[in-house]
Amino acid sequence: MLQPHSFFWHYLWLAPCVLLASLALFMRRRGLHKEFPAFFCYVLFEAVGGGLLYAIDVSPSTTGSMYWGNYLFYFVLEVVIKFVVIGEVFTHLLRRYPPLGRLAKKLITGVGILLIFAAAIIAAYASPTASWIISTIRILGRSVSVVQCGLIVFLFLFAAHFHLRWERPVFGIALGLGITAAVSLACWSLLAGWIFGQKSYLLDFLNMATYHACVLFWCYCLLVPEESAVTSATLPAEHNLELWNRELERLLQR
Amino acid sequence: MNLAVILVIGAAVALGIVVRLAVSYSLQTKKGSNPADIRPIDVEAFRNLINPAEDEYLRRRLPPVEFRMVRRARLGAMAAYVQVAAKNAAVLMGVGESALASGDPRIAEAAQQLVNHAVLLRRNTTVALARIYLALLYPGSEFAAVRVVDRYEQLSGSAMLLGRLQNPATAVRLSSHS
Repeated sequence: MLQPHSFFWHYLWLAPCVLLASLALFMRRRGLHKEFPAFFCYVLFEAVGGGLLYAIDVSPSTTGSMYWGNYLFYFVLEVVIKFVVIGEVFTHLLRRYPPLGRLAKKLITGVGILLIFAAAIIAAYASPTASWIISTIRILGRSVSVVQCGLIVFLFLFAAHFHLRWERPVFGIALGLGITAAVSLACWSLLAGWIFGQKSYLLDFLNMATYHACVLFWCYCLLVPEESAVTSATLPAEHNLELWNRELERLLQR
Repeated sequence: MNLAVILVIGAAVALGIVVRLAVSYSLQTKKGSNPADIRPIDVEAFRNLINPAEDEYLRRRLPPVEFRMVRRARLGAMAAYVQVAAKNAAVLMGVGESALASGDPRIAEAAQQLVNHAVLLRRNTTVALARIYLALLYPGSEFAAVRVVDRYEQLSGSAMLLGRLQNPATAVRLSSHS
């Protein structure tokens, strides 16, 4: 079952493409493509790009270098789009909290610079393989995963610290990106370290299965309507207001 | 090999953080904010604590070693106050967020104002706490947390305004001098 080109392998590659194509369709119908243009592009890109890569992979006329060349092109585009999606998540999260805008910008710039610095160091320590193209993909994959994973962790920590409220689609997109980035980082690191040896294809299964689960989660978060907010939080328990009053009066009497 | 292991551990930690924060956020959203969690703060005492004149007085009167000890104790108390203010801001943010969905535009506006003030207070408490912990390392340095008090004042006003709009029957006064 866990062999390359087994039924499960084909399923894990194709099912997310089909699900993402359906998600893109529903997003367009519900007007979500206007609200999340970057994520909509990402969904379309993954659906079409993943399908094309699959076709190239299974085509008997495709050579190894041809496949990896195409994969590198796909991968570079994917990296760029993912960064734009992360930016979109940040924008959505912060748009309801304008007072945090400047601080968030400063912090994200600082964290971004630190992560890029760390990624550059990690890339410098990479051990190249016989094929330059596979080496490039592995080094790029590992370095980019470090930056993406770090940005998503920062995003969650920032939101948790300031008790920011997530809209469900934004929360779903961020969580899915975070999980895929963390699992990708682990897989790329193990691949680059050649730790699994000939069994490295098992990491592909882990990566593909995680991605499939995240695609399902995205479908749920974007397509199932959000429940109404908690309504129990009305403020004026009289004694509390009196306490607030007392505190404020004390302030005003100084 | 070593780098790979470090990165895998890093990835596992990152995954743990993201999933844990996501789960706690979901649970917190289901539970909602409870205004009863608000802990009143003696703002006047806090003002005295952060008054630079008092620090200066202590600096003049006490020997340096003793002054540093007293200053550390005062900074510790300051941190405790600021932490309570930050927690109160978080509770009020939740309250404001819930009230934002209200059909009444006046309540929604007051709720937005409360959320904005609470966010600002949270930001200021974060900066203030960082400065307090820094000052704990160098007790001789100057420190001011006046903005936290000012924001707390504004937040109190917003909370009371929202409370009054949500429940007009409750007699809420913004000031006894108005």
